[in-house]
Amino acid sequence: MIVKPLGFALGLAAVFLAVAAGLRFAAAEGMVADDIVRRAVQALIGLGLAAWANFMPKQLGRPRKSAGAETRSQAALRVAGWSMTLAGLAYAGFWAFAPLPFADTVSMVPVAVAMVLTLGYAIWCFAACRRGAPAGN
Amino acid sequence: MTAGELSEHFPVSKPTMSAHFNVLREADLVDAYKQGTTITYRLKLSVLEDALLGFARTFGFGSLHNSAEADPVSAPRKEPTR
Repeated sequence: MIVKPLGFALGLAAVFLAVAAGLRFAAAEGMVADDIVRRAVQALIGLGLAAWANFMPKQLGRPRKSAGAETRSQAALRVAGWSMTLAGLAYAGFWAFAPLPFADTVSMVPVAVAMVLTLGYAIWCFAACRRGAPAGN
Repeated sequence: MTAGELSEHFPVSKPTMSAHFNVLREADLVDAYKQGTTITYRLKLSVLEDALLGFARTFGFGSLHNSAEADPVSAPRKEPTR
């Protein structure tokens, strides 16, 4: 059950490390500029976040006892998946195309917003389940 | 939704529905959870699959021209094959 997502995460981490090491080596050899290395690694991190978040709505787990709780649980996963995927793409886009000082500051904004949205919506869903409010309210 | 509840919404027999569910399950697009004799199906879409579905719906790809096919609930139900 847990082996598949763990394997994906380990594979993703291995790709990050290999690309970062390769680019660092290329920079040391004078083949690429330092800022290109920084941009490429940060953009790769953003794309990795998007790739990982893309599969979040598929991690359903065991079915909940009530239809309302199940609906909210799936809605929370979808909101988390969508917000983190878009945040990852925005992060990668800033690092790929924006001026470096701007990207350095602004790239974290979409990720922070996505995290707040994900956590806030999950807490709201959990609280609504505890209250026993019907799904959709 | 359970397999029985889902099959009520489509004009096909339950064995046909079951075959379709198996294909969807193998494609990892639905999750099937068996409890006793009841199988509950849950939609299982990644963000990309969800976005492609929304895109297809928006631009009408795969839309049904036949009104009976477009509204499976009101369409006549095929009897189960024996």
